[in-house]
Amino acid sequence: MLLAKTLRSSTLKLALACIGIFGAVVFALFGYVYWATVSHVRSRADHAVAAEYSVLQAAFDAAGRRGLIASIEQHIAEQRLADGYYLLADPSFAPVAGNIEVWPSELSGPRGSQDVGVQERNAESQTPVLLRTKFDTLPDGYRLLVGTDIGHLSQFAGKMEAALAGGILLLLVLAGFATTAVTRRTVGRIEAINATSRAIMHDGLGRRIPVRGTRDEWDQLAENLNLMLDRIEALMGEVKQVTDNVAHDLRTPLTRLRGRLEKASHQEFDPERSRALVADTMRELDVVLTIFSSLLRISRIEGLNSRGTFSVVDLAQVAGEVAELFDAAAEAKGRRVKFESGGRVRVIGDRDLLFDAISNLIDNAVTHGGGNVQVTVRDDDQGPTVSVADRGPGIPLEERKHVLKRFYRIERSRSSPGHGLGLSLVAAVVQLHRARLEMEDNGPGLKIWLQFQPVITEGSLSVAPEASGTRC
Amino acid sequence: MTGARRRILVVEDDPETARQLVESLATSGYQADLAVNGGDALSRGRSTDYAVMTVDRMLPDIDGIDIIRCLRNDGIVTPALIISALGEIDDRVRGLRAGGDDYLVKPFAFAELLARVEALARRSATVVKETVLRVGDLELDLVSRTANRSGREIELLPREYRLLEYLVRNEGHVVSRAMLLQHVWDLHFDPTTNVIDVYVGRLRRKIDTQQRYPLIHTVRGVGYYVRASG
Repeated sequence: MLLAKTLRSSTLKLALACIGIFGAVVFALFGYVYWATVSHVRSRADHAVAAEYSVLQAAFDAAGRRGLIASIEQHIAEQRLADGYYLLADPSFAPVAGNIEVWPSELSGPRGSQDVGVQERNAESQTPVLLRTKFDTLPDGYRLLVGTDIGHLSQFAGKMEAALAGGILLLLVLAGFATTAVTRRTVGRIEAINATSRAIMHDGLGRRIPVRGTRDEWDQLAENLNLMLDRIEALMGEVKQVTDNVAHDLRTPLTRLRGRLEKASHQEFDPERSRALVADTMRELDVVLTIFSSLLRISRIEGLNSRGTFSVVDLAQVAGEVAELFDAAAEAKGRRVKFESGGRVRVIGDRDLLFDAISNLIDNAVTHGGGNVQVTVRDDDQGPTVSVADRGPGIPLEERKHVLKRFYRIERSRSSPGHGLGLSLVAAVVQLHRARLEMEDNGPGLKIWLQFQPVITEGSLSVAPEASGTRC
Repeated sequence: MTGARRRILVVEDDPETARQLVESLATSGYQADLAVNGGDALSRGRSTDYAVMTVDRMLPDIDGIDIIRCLRNDGIVTPALIISALGEIDDRVRGLRAGGDDYLVKPFAFAELLARVEALARRSATVVKETVLRVGDLELDLVSRTANRSGREIELLPREYRLLEYLVRNEGHVVSRAMLLQHVWDLHFDPTTNVIDVYVGRLRRKIDTQQRYPLIHTVRGVGYYVRASG
């Protein structure tokens, strides 16, 4: 299976392409060395032969054919030219002097310069010698040939070819090993990630991708994926927590309802009692529906990422209206909701949601707090703020970070009305507006405030265009 | 509910909900026609002059909003009440922008639905330019935005005046808490506290204390109405 994966791997294909390019470069390099060496050897041979020929030409010019023959004999005896070969032939190509057996038949022209194989005179071996030659026709019609053995050049070429073949072979073997190793390693690491992904799909989010501790890019990838999995797991945990809470908070009243209806179904029919029963049942159902729609509303706000409905809102006006609305409720308890602001305070937001959030803050202060409730809107350097302060028992420090969670209710308020969703909604609205929520001790009581981002641009934000098409 | 039975178009695909809607509307004096899908709704909406239509958002073949948009394109201005199980926040905006006149989120009380349908039906009927509104011995001066009862001025906060004006304009008809929030406070979410009731309670004390008869009446679990007697 790993082999099949290795063969399909993109790393393997990449490595093969690299080997191909590298092989071509090596081949070209060898070719160049071969060509440069051969031409160098040829050119040196040409020079040596030409020099030797002019010396002999000079001897002929000075002392005629006899002097030339003597000179040839002497050159052969003294080996003036390394691996030198000479031949003087009469016009009918019959050898006159020199150490070559016969005039090569290929050299029929009057003059030239050519590579040719010849037989050495009086040699033990019958193998021809490869010569680089220069020959010409002398003024008396005789032909003179001077050559040098370039047999070592073909030996060199053979060695070059062997080296090239060996090099290519070595390259292939080493590159093959390297490719296999790299590909297997890459495929192995990816396979580890794939295996973990499959395990997560099968068995849940508990698994993590192994990290080798090499701090390489694979480890970084694995660490990032693991962090992402941690985050997903945490979110799933929260969702589960909420689901459990929903189940609990909805099941309790629903069970109560069911019990009541079951009991009623066993009793004698009594119009008065059944009317009361229906009224109670509807009231309880309304509570359940309220919890349900609050939850939906919070999820909805949390899920909103487009701020299509945002516009410039006067925070002071909104807070003032909420304060006035709740003042009536506070008055009924012999308390007041007081409002203070220094005029128009602009924020960019959704008026409904801001109204709802501030309503929840003031409602909490009126329901769970004590004394008069002070609502203040200000606009300072850090941006617009709205604060709600009461003189009640406050929230203990250690509970403050929990009160924003859904269904969380501090111990002493469990008997008073509410579902523990108000501040969750506030938190969702605050997050959507990229605002901040802070709580502090009001000594006594609680002061809670929302800090908004300063408004930079003038005018209202443009509203996102309608996306859906019409089918009539 | 005077004159001939007014016709209303109900666009709803759930049979149980549709039956309940048609029955309760019939009890309130409407002749309700039911359309169970988009095509049906469009052909009925184009061929008949309805007083009001209620349109469910999630239909098998089409989004209810598109029905309203299509009818509006054809120049049909029948007031439309959008009914939806989707959340209010963004869908409400989409719905109202598409030409819906009011928005109701499932689940709802039928009394709430009736109150809203009534308000929409009235809206198309009455556009009267007045400067003074009267209910019994209560007078609202729409120019100076003041109220008096039997000639004695009543001190009202601006918001209290708007609340009273809305109730008086809908004299004899029930308005729900959500409708009050929507028209008096310009808010579009369901109140989860009894704060509106307390606020209306304070207004009622200002209006009805030490008078010969009460003007503001409560319908338990639904809302309020203003009437001079009973």
